[in-house]
Amino acid sequence: MGFGQAALIALGYYLANSPWLFGLAYYTLFRPLVAGLLVGLILGHPAEGTLIGAAINVPYLGFISAGGSYPSDVAFAGWVGTTIALAGGLNPAAAIAVAIPLGLLGTLVFYGRMSVSAVFAHWADDRAEKADINGVAFMNVVPGQILLFVISFVPVFLLALNGPGFVKDAIDRLPLWFSDGLVIAGGILPAIGIALTMRFIFRGSAIPYFFIGFILFTFSGGSMSLVVIAAIGVALAYLHLTFTGGLAPKSTEAAAEIATAPVLMTSDETAPAGRHLTRGDVLRSWITWSFFSHANYNYERLQGTGFAHAMTPIIRKLYTTPDEIRAALKRHLVFFNTEPNFGNVIHGAVIALEEQRANGAPIDDDAINSVKSGLMGPISGIGDTLSQSTIAPILLALGIGIAGGTATGSSIPNFAPGSTGNVLGPIIYVALVSVIIVGIGYVAWMQGYLRGRAFVTDLLRSGTIDRVLTGAGVLGNLVLGALAAKVVTLYLAPTVSIYGAQLNIQASVLDPIFPGVLALGLVLITFWLLRRVSPLWILAGMLTFSIIAAFPFFGPGPQNPNDYSYQACTSSLLHKYAPCGVPPAPSAAPQASPSPAASTAP
Amino acid sequence: MSLRLVRIDDRLIHGQVVAGWLRALGARRIVIVDDATARDEFLRDVLTLAAPSDVPVEVLNIADGAIRCIELAASPEPVFVLARSPRTVLGLRQAGVPIEVVDLGGMGSGPGRKRLHKTISISPDELAELRELERLGTRVEIQIVADDRPIPFRSLDSTH
Repeated sequence: MGFGQAALIALGYYLANSPWLFGLAYYTLFRPLVAGLLVGLILGHPAEGTLIGAAINVPYLGFISAGGSYPSDVAFAGWVGTTIALAGGLNPAAAIAVAIPLGLLGTLVFYGRMSVSAVFAHWADDRAEKADINGVAFMNVVPGQILLFVISFVPVFLLALNGPGFVKDAIDRLPLWFSDGLVIAGGILPAIGIALTMRFIFRGSAIPYFFIGFILFTFSGGSMSLVVIAAIGVALAYLHLTFTGGLAPKSTEAAAEIATAPVLMTSDETAPAGRHLTRGDVLRSWITWSFFSHANYNYERLQGTGFAHAMTPIIRKLYTTPDEIRAALKRHLVFFNTEPNFGNVIHGAVIALEEQRANGAPIDDDAINSVKSGLMGPISGIGDTLSQSTIAPILLALGIGIAGGTATGSSIPNFAPGSTGNVLGPIIYVALVSVIIVGIGYVAWMQGYLRGRAFVTDLLRSGTIDRVLTGAGVLGNLVLGALAAKVVTLYLAPTVSIYGAQLNIQASVLDPIFPGVLALGLVLITFWLLRRVSPLWILAGMLTFSIIAAFPFFGPGPQNPNDYSYQACTSSLLHKYAPCGVPPAPSAAPQASPSPAASTAP
Repeated sequence: MSLRLVRIDDRLIHGQVVAGWLRALGARRIVIVDDATARDEFLRDVLTLAAPSDVPVEVLNIADGAIRCIELAASPEPVFVLARSPRTVLGLRQAGVPIEVVDLGGMGSGPGRKRLHKTISISPDELAELRELERLGTRVEIQIVADDRPIPFRSLDSTH
């Protein structure tokens, strides 16, 4: 690994948490699927990198960060995990097991930044006191980004330089059955990502579609493309909505009153000589927010300074005296946190209120604050459900499904050596997620401005969001079920003796009746466990169990780390079974290695 | 019987609340107790609409909320009670609502507020109110999302 390559990887990790990608970093570079492709490009093996990134992404399929919580640093797991696996010659399934502790380690970067950045919010307060609009904008971006750059770049640069060698040495020193356990874990751990995502969408009338997706994929022998399954999903979603009659609009007591409430907008009557905002001002504000909403994310104010920064084009246009400017900046520097795309209805409505206020309407600080503080919670509830728990996981499932290997589930684990990654997976994912997220953000912002609070209640009451979520739930379950069939791999090696014949329970009993039933059972059990146990305990349990299960209790252990042929004769609990003495079919166990550095026979 | 959990969150219904806590508690009903919110028709409406469509939301002031909570505490149906401030919860407790645990889930910062833990900041008044709640036999814990391990308030209070 050259210095330049390590520096590019470290830069990529910084960018994944930075504001510089129009606020899309969280949906793009932050995800291991995308990081895998980019690390692959930097190291000259894009297809292999994509495969590793896709593998690492699966356990994080259901990742959400809300209200300042941060269960795992997914970007750290993706960028560093792919680097170590690719440069250290680890196979993609084992990379999953290596990436998870990295994800936990990476949360230190987040906590450090969230704690320290609160200081910069106070610096912004000082600038606001001096009615310094540019100063507030500066404090929202520059100090926090310098801090973030240092604490992101340095550790990842050092890990990229030294990590691969270190991990490769460690793996070389470990007994083969141990590193084999990591591969087994790579087949089991994806169940967590599937189950975490199921918590969002596996419910109600959408549940059967998960099983349909699973069965479609297994009965096609693993050959059905996820794109085809997604296309079927769209058709089924349409049928489902049609035949269930959609969803009746939700009614509340005050429905009529609110719906007819006057739309908050300035008109020439209320402000004859007024200060008016142009479409350009409102757009500039939206663009500022899109870039910098999380530039100075911190525990004290969360998006507080980001909100004030987004209001700077508005404040500059509407207010002229230092007193007005100071008051407006301070008004918007307080604690604020919402989902930063759908939540834009709040900003739009607040801009409309500011415009009226600047034109003499009797709107005091309390009125504006109550719109912000009253709406930010409920709106982020809907926004997170929409973007983080529905759109992102479904598109990721699709992207991972496309990226994740050409091997079929029936022969070797999908992320095992021999599978080939498809760079179209991350590319399609990024294109779709960017258009949808930016689209939601733009419409919410503009409608919030033009129609004010009425837009919020009208939209909620119309049932549109419920319909979108229901339709997405159908599509999501179908894709998720197929992805579960594709990435969750569980083999059972032991045999039972019946009338003298050695029968493997999986190969001879279960799979002929219901292919992949073990993997499906594992996913359902994990889903059930998640209601009772924290995901971290399940992760730790699965990892330990996989390694123990790889121990060759029943016969000779593996001879070569990338050689699946030893599985031809049962040696441990969780290996693919084949009768002793029968050589594996050549196509079932290709010897290709994921990177040129791989494949070290003892 | 008593209410298993009352959550204090200045954003009331939001992402994790909807997604995580309803599931963790197995609750199919949300009761929001807050005087100012109960007066505001628009916010009442938004909160009602923001919850999942099969989860009924009631927005009540402290007086009505206390009556309703006593009623609900006596029934076996799990219910998720949300309030904006410790004062509201203390008001409920003093009105005779049996509350097992108060969860501090989100209390933003502001002038005169001291950071206790991550996104939890409290004012001196709130500190006194929380201590009073503990004195009345209600456990106070910090648990921002349902997957977090709860941190006893007392362990952080002693360092104050």
